[in-house]
Amino acid sequence: MTAVAAKYDEIKSLGAEVLAISVDSPYTHKVWQEGELSKIIAGGLPYPMLSDPGGRIGEQYGVYAEEDGVDIRGRFLIDPDGVLQAMEVLAPAVGRNVAEMIRQIRACQHVRQTGEATPAGWEPGKKSLKPGAELVGKVCEIWSPDMAF
Amino acid sequence: MTVRVGKPAPTFETKGYHQGAIKTIKLADYQGQWVMLYFYPGDFTFV
Repeated sequence: MTAVAAKYDEIKSLGAEVLAISVDSPYTHKVWQEGELSKIIAGGLPYPMLSDPGGRIGEQYGVYAEEDGVDIRGRFLIDPDGVLQAMEVLAPAVGRNVAEMIRQIRACQHVRQTGEATPAGWEPGKKSLKPGAELVGKVCEIWSPDMAF
Repeated sequence: MTVRVGKPAPTFETKGYHQGAIKTIKLADYQGQWVMLYFYPGDFTFV
């Protein structure tokens, strides 16, 4: 979570906001923020920490684990029209890759702006593909797996 | 309801903590922006 905070300026510069959410109350968020997170990263988390009492929101997103009473580690990228564009769910003990989150924001934005497709491992500046009749059966002429890394 | 890429994300409105204050926050507040919503198992955990 503090890793997301460390890259917050970059995320904001892409026109994106971050919302963290767990079943904890806003008061618990405040105490955690003041007591611990602010010692890991100066100022604590710069983005809102939402409360999901009873996991009602998590349930709608398919990440509420009823047996444990918690929301598991799901991440959802929502576009400016409110449409879901990417999602990832990890086991509770496995942390996220913030660089990959940012790459996915950039890739989704590129697709939205250009109508092109971004191949595996796409980063800004790398080749994207224009779907269409001319490209059918010819991806092999312009793209190879080494371009993904 | 099933969440699916390409479909509207479930809307919500709830209390949150931000910049020292407790406020009501809803997904609709961010219409026109990209939103990275991330769930986590709980405060005072380790990852």
